[in-house]
Amino acid sequence: MIVFKTFLKVLNKNKGIILLYTLILLIFAYFNMENGETTTNFYAEKTDIYILLEDENIGLTKNLVDYLKSVSLVKEIKEEKLEDALFYRDVSMIIKIPKNYRIDTLNGINREIEIQSTGDYTASLEKMLLEKYLRIQKIYLNEQLEETKVIEQINETLNKKVTVELTSTLDRSSLSKAKLYFNFSNYAILAGLVFVICLMLTIFKEEKIKKRTLVSSLNYKKYNRILFLSNGLFTIILWLLYVLLGFVLIGKTMLSYHGLFFMINSFIFSMCALSIALLIGNVSQNKEALSGIVNVVALGSSFLCGAFVPMEFLPKSVVKISHVLPSYWFIKNNDLISNLEQISLKEVHPIITNFAILIGFIIIFSIGTNLISKKKLKQS
Amino acid sequence: MNCIEIKNLTKKYKDVKAVDNLSFEVKEGEILGLLGPNGSGKSTTINCILSLLNYEKGEIKIFNTLMSPTAYEVKKQIGVVFQDVAVFDNLTVYENIDYFCGLYINSKEKRKEYIKDALDLVELNEFTNYYPKQLSGGLLRRLNIACGIAHKPKLIFLDEPTVAVDPQSRNSILEGIKKLRDLGSTIVYTTHYMEEVEILCDRIIILDNGKILATGDKDELKKLAKIEEKVTIEIMDLKKSHIKEIEHFPNVENISYENNTLQIVYKKGKNNVVELLEYLNQNKIKYNKIFSERPSLNDVFLYLTGKELRD
Repeated sequence: MIVFKTFLKVLNKNKGIILLYTLILLIFAYFNMENGETTTNFYAEKTDIYILLEDENIGLTKNLVDYLKSVSLVKEIKEEKLEDALFYRDVSMIIKIPKNYRIDTLNGINREIEIQSTGDYTASLEKMLLEKYLRIQKIYLNEQLEETKVIEQINETLNKKVTVELTSTLDRSSLSKAKLYFNFSNYAILAGLVFVICLMLTIFKEEKIKKRTLVSSLNYKKYNRILFLSNGLFTIILWLLYVLLGFVLIGKTMLSYHGLFFMINSFIFSMCALSIALLIGNVSQNKEALSGIVNVVALGSSFLCGAFVPMEFLPKSVVKISHVLPSYWFIKNNDLISNLEQISLKEVHPIITNFAILIGFIIIFSIGTNLISKKKLKQS
Repeated sequence: MNCIEIKNLTKKYKDVKAVDNLSFEVKEGEILGLLGPNGSGKSTTINCILSLLNYEKGEIKIFNTLMSPTAYEVKKQIGVVFQDVAVFDNLTVYENIDYFCGLYINSKEKRKEYIKDALDLVELNEFTNYYPKQLSGGLLRRLNIACGIAHKPKLIFLDEPTVAVDPQSRNSILEGIKKLRDLGSTIVYTTHYMEEVEILCDRIIILDNGKILATGDKDELKKLAKIEEKVTIEIMDLKKSHIKEIEHFPNVENISYENNTLQIVYKKGKNNVVELLEYLNQNKIKYNKIFSERPSLNDVFLYLTGKELRD
């Protein structure tokens, strides 16, 4: 009991550092959540193009030009400045309709429309639209119809619209906030637990104190168990604190099944962070090196695994490397949970798989800690 | 009755024998001094006794029980004060003593009483709310002792508890140790300060290179040195011819003259000063101070090993 009480006393005297990490979590989570909401409205964008028309603007040619005008923003540029316009991205594409295009096309000769583009995504979009038009035109020309009929059919086809409706009962904004909060908690949990647990182990397992404990009548295995349970209790308290803050910042989403999954995910991750902290605490007994270790472990894995920057924006090689870190699976799970439409085996399965991977990490780190502490005890 | 019985203890560090076939006993209620220079095997012997170190050969019994890392009933009766101060920087003086006492005693009430006694013993009552970093070196050493003995053990190991301590604190610590003995504790005291051993110990074991060189009380040990008197005189500019003449006085074992101080060691007799003074007066040699002393343990150590205790 005295070990546990003293653990709490020493912990209490280091509460400043816990408050510091909590404050960091609060500030960054708040700003992230304010600025990082997912967009739910979409609007169409038109591509800036230039049409270099060498054919007569009648019939099939005119229809093509009209179509391009309707789906793009056609700019007026002097011919000698076309190259510059493309270079400076005043236009994304220059479409050249060659001389006798109409006549040749009607006579079954395949005339190519030359394009010059910047190669960016707007140009790709424009290319797609042009190809769509030309495919439809080809279909009706193959049917040997008259020019006016062909134009009529093309326009009719192009005007057909299919309405696609995306329906979701989810509160996307709130779930996005929750995801950002729990992703950021990756740093706060790792930094807080690694720092405090390593510090406590450094204090309680300092060689001189350890010697005093070993010569005392207290069973050393029991002493280690008490220290482990004390650290476990601290982990649960810190997790509860961060979950509670989650309730304050996110609100009622935390009461849904999404909230429950977020909590379970962060609990398993907290246990994983505990096992990491115990491993580091057993390997290093250097108080001065602690800040450096926290930066490497917490900041390093948070950056690599997308706690601060979404994984989509990270280079593929970085994402590949991050697979070996528990933070990756924790953050991946947060993403999956925020997109969870309904509770079904199919949807929940990947989340549970990630839970299992995190538990696997806990087992590996715990075995490592055991081996190291046994080796150290033998050496001493 | 013996508190500790050690038979043929041998501890090696690779090929070096730190403790070499050591056998001795510690009697109940005595203060046993383990005296030896740094690296003589004092701390290694204690660490073996406390099961902090494995050893190659030998047997250690404490209170008639074979000592092992799991001999918790025996450990309950042992208190240890290590050479290095082992306390928590984040806890106050009171909290530190409470913690280390709590490793042995569960009852909070009993602990409270014991902590008060320990604070009285080391005279730290005024500093209960101080943190270790706020204490001087001497006070810190006293706290270290309080942490080791607060649970009122029957057997106490004190491993050089006065290293780097100011004279006032040293006296306080030595007084405290005497009080512990008077309260009935058996004490094993290691040091390389012979003055402390002379003041405190009932029995002394002189160790060097992991072996016992001599054992006995201080008088028994001093007899071993075959020296009876040591005379020191402050003389300015003593001629070499005079030194040679004094060297041939009866019973002179050794003579040295350094920094205007003449030191003569006599094998026998306790009144060699008269003859020496007569010689100085006859030769009109002026002197300032003169004093005679019985041989110290350092002389014994010098006689036994050919080197100073603090080498």
